[in-house]
Amino acid sequence: MRNVSGLGLSGAVAFMALLAASGPALSQQAPMLDELVSSGALPPLEERLPANPLVIEPVESIGTYGGTWRSALRGGLDNAWIARTVAYDGLVRYDREWKEIIPNLAESWEVSADSRTYTFKLRDGLKWNNGTPFTSEDIAFAVELFSEPTYGGGTFIKNPQNPVSVEVVDDTTFSLVFGNPNGVIMDELASVNGLTLVSLNKAYCSQFYPAYNENAGAEAQAAGFETWEAWMEDRCGWATETIRWGNPELPFMNAWMVEQPLTGDATRATFVRNPYYWKVDTEGNQLPYIDRLDMRVSDSLEEITLMALNGEIDFQDRHIATVVNQPLFFDGQEQGDYRLGANVPSNMNTLVLQFNLNHVDEKRRELFQNKDFRIGISHLLDREEIIDVVFTGQGEPFQAAPRPESPFYDEEMAKQYTEYDPDAAAAAFEAAGLVRNGDYYTFADGTPLNVTIDLISSFRSEWVDMMELMQLQLEAGGINIELNNIDRTLYYDKRLVGDYDAQIWQGDGGLDVIQEPRYYMPSGAESVWAFRWQAWYNGSDPEIAEEPADWAKEQMDLYTQLRGEGDPAVRDDLMKQILAIAKENFPVIGVSLPGNGYYIAKNNMRNIAEPMLHAYLFPTPAPYDPFQWYFD
Amino acid sequence: MLRFVTNRLIAMVLTLWAVSFVAFAIIQLPPGDYLTTYVASLSAQGERVDPRMIEALRNQYGFGEPFIVQYWKWISGILTRGDFGQSFEWKAPVTSLIWGRLGNSLLVEGLAVLVMWTIALPIGIYVAVKKYSLGDYLATIAGFIGLAIPNFLMALLLMYLSFVWFGTTIGGLYSPGFENAHWSLPKLMDFLSRAWAPVLVLATAGTAELIRILRANLLDELKKPYVVTARAKGLPEWKVILKYPVRVALNPLVSTIGWLLPALVSSSVIVSVVLNLPTAGPLLLRSLTSQDMYLAGAIIMLLGVLTVIGTLISDLLLAWIDPRIRYGSK
Repeated sequence: MRNVSGLGLSGAVAFMALLAASGPALSQQAPMLDELVSSGALPPLEERLPANPLVIEPVESIGTYGGTWRSALRGGLDNAWIARTVAYDGLVRYDREWKEIIPNLAESWEVSADSRTYTFKLRDGLKWNNGTPFTSEDIAFAVELFSEPTYGGGTFIKNPQNPVSVEVVDDTTFSLVFGNPNGVIMDELASVNGLTLVSLNKAYCSQFYPAYNENAGAEAQAAGFETWEAWMEDRCGWATETIRWGNPELPFMNAWMVEQPLTGDATRATFVRNPYYWKVDTEGNQLPYIDRLDMRVSDSLEEITLMALNGEIDFQDRHIATVVNQPLFFDGQEQGDYRLGANVPSNMNTLVLQFNLNHVDEKRRELFQNKDFRIGISHLLDREEIIDVVFTGQGEPFQAAPRPESPFYDEEMAKQYTEYDPDAAAAAFEAAGLVRNGDYYTFADGTPLNVTIDLISSFRSEWVDMMELMQLQLEAGGINIELNNIDRTLYYDKRLVGDYDAQIWQGDGGLDVIQEPRYYMPSGAESVWAFRWQAWYNGSDPEIAEEPADWAKEQMDLYTQLRGEGDPAVRDDLMKQILAIAKENFPVIGVSLPGNGYYIAKNNMRNIAEPMLHAYLFPTPAPYDPFQWYFD
Repeated sequence: MLRFVTNRLIAMVLTLWAVSFVAFAIIQLPPGDYLTTYVASLSAQGERVDPRMIEALRNQYGFGEPFIVQYWKWISGILTRGDFGQSFEWKAPVTSLIWGRLGNSLLVEGLAVLVMWTIALPIGIYVAVKKYSLGDYLATIAGFIGLAIPNFLMALLLMYLSFVWFGTTIGGLYSPGFENAHWSLPKLMDFLSRAWAPVLVLATAGTAELIRILRANLLDELKKPYVVTARAKGLPEWKVILKYPVRVALNPLVSTIGWLLPALVSSSVIVSVVLNLPTAGPLLLRSLTSQDMYLAGAIIMLLGVLTVIGTLISDLLLAWIDPRIRYGSK
């Protein structure tokens, strides 16, 4: 893993300046573009690149042009894979170590002292894939459109607690001005969500918007859509959602552009190189190296798995890289002419058990809020057995805590109460006021205690195996457990009602600790263990909101401060305080640290970093620059 | 006959109306709605969704309205404009999604019916005429194995075997180059080189049933006096059997043609998912799990139409093969 350091970057920029001075002779483009340029259909390379293109240092070596990268989408609505391979070019981006935010479309930025005004300077001469200039006006248009209450997803532009406006200085300079200090906006812009701001071409998309085209409503209806919003969504979308890849006319800034669109009945979606892509390698060759992306649209995991075994997939990890498939892929490497590489997952846990601290039943709420009860449960879990049986020995016992790779890692937090210790559990249950009556514990007044744990087996098949083992272990320790395998939508509906004992989910927030603190504090709707507390904090669902316990309120105060803090060092310190409170109060129970994931890459595919950090917000492999991968 | 057809058509319209109502109601039965699923999938990806946006979308989609209002909007759109509504997931008119898929479904499943009948009819006649022979037992065993192996398992086996033996994956209906091509001889060959797998899987499942029904019916008929008479009059054996008893024995098969089409579509859902066929099945499954109600409603509705049309066809066929049946006349 190499990093484009500040020094390397400025050196590369100087190199490019030298290059420009010595004429275009050294600059190169893909052979498939040569003919277009000589026939006059495409302007020469110098006119297509910005004045200072982003120079990328290849992971291993300078590549060669050509080839098609084959992969697969599961069903038609697998937008995440496209986001991770094609659509990751925001104003800024993360470095390959996920530590620093570095320039991308914006070559530089300044933050005002009060952290309210962020002024960006775009590269001079950036162009959309149709050759029209990309300017500050496009950004302002995006903010204007997303400010419409009826349009767009839940982006930062829509945050009512911190409204934003744009001040356009000139074609390449603009400021985002927030109502209140904003300390997390750079992370938002560098993550996969950063695309929202830079993906609307004003010239094209304004034709569907009543503010620019008074007939937009009527034209939408003529096209078969009830509202202008629906028509706009169909044509322009708003982020990385699937619908965006169904319209080849929609301009993009990505390395590859839509060739064969992804529609509802497509069996294949393809992308072809963007001749105006604004990144070059250290020798001035325009990127990407690979000509095309070819994605098989398949509802069948079996088909995708067989395709990979058969060598028909050049790079993929999504869907097929499961624990169960690993030995299969390992054995098939020679025949399929591919290799396995390592992914470090951002999840910190294979399963997080969340007791409902806001249960509607008084007695249960009191019990689940009792830290001793949760400690007792944690001591009853024989984590080594689970790791051996379900995960073939991969991983280690772990609580809901930042991963060892994270700067927030705290060994004590990660390991507390993880040892299998029935005696300690018995003592903890006694401290929690439970009474052992024959085989099982009951409440102090003798009413039986049956704990029902909701799970969705369709999301992670190993959850069923894990839960069945955990059920046996807990029952051996006197806690009567019932497993309730339910549908995803019911799972979500239950949160509002509040009548569930416990639910499980995966361990988000292992590396993206600040961005995803759901298990450390009641931060959002995914904090199922304290749904009514987070509702109080977020102002959502006021009819069920409940005032949180003092420790959680303290965390919320700290997090509110964090969100308004411009200095990264202070932010980290605030997060550490939040984590310390989480460690002390032990709200949820983890099982084990996930072992490394893996990806499959054809042996002739080069420049793939190893290992790669893996998360959705840091949408692997995008931060490792797939546009500099090549076939040799 | 004309009166019969007219009566039938009126009944069809009423049936379809009932089907549409039930279909729409069933789709709304599970907890939550499309937006719940949508929010679930967003948060699985680590995105956070503003509750206010969900509220706005809920109003935009009309989820707050009473069931009957939503139903009326949907059905009147279909009747007046041929508009089946929007697919929430695809943000596109339902009509633009389903026709190609339904076409593929009819093609694959039609072929499966054809193959099924071509295999089952001769075998059925053979095992009836030569009952308790070695051939009878072999055919019966083979048929029952076909019936007993779950379709998805057989599809998986075929995929695995063709991977191990021929080094190919047999998913889909066309090779990469042919997906968007117009129909031509090479495309047809390509289609057949892939479609044999699903057709085989779907056909084997129903063959045993057909064989058994035909065998039982034919055995009843073969003992009847008119067969003995025909034989006594010196008619060639093949003519005796094919011209009279087989025609009668076909009666129950023909009268259930109407159920064949929808049964095939629904039984092929899992096969289509496993083999990644671009048919209506996976689309229906997907739309049901995500509660994309207009899309699911349209597919279920069209399956209803297929059933009704199939029943009409089987009635007409029945009248043709069995003149003893006289509709409507006294």
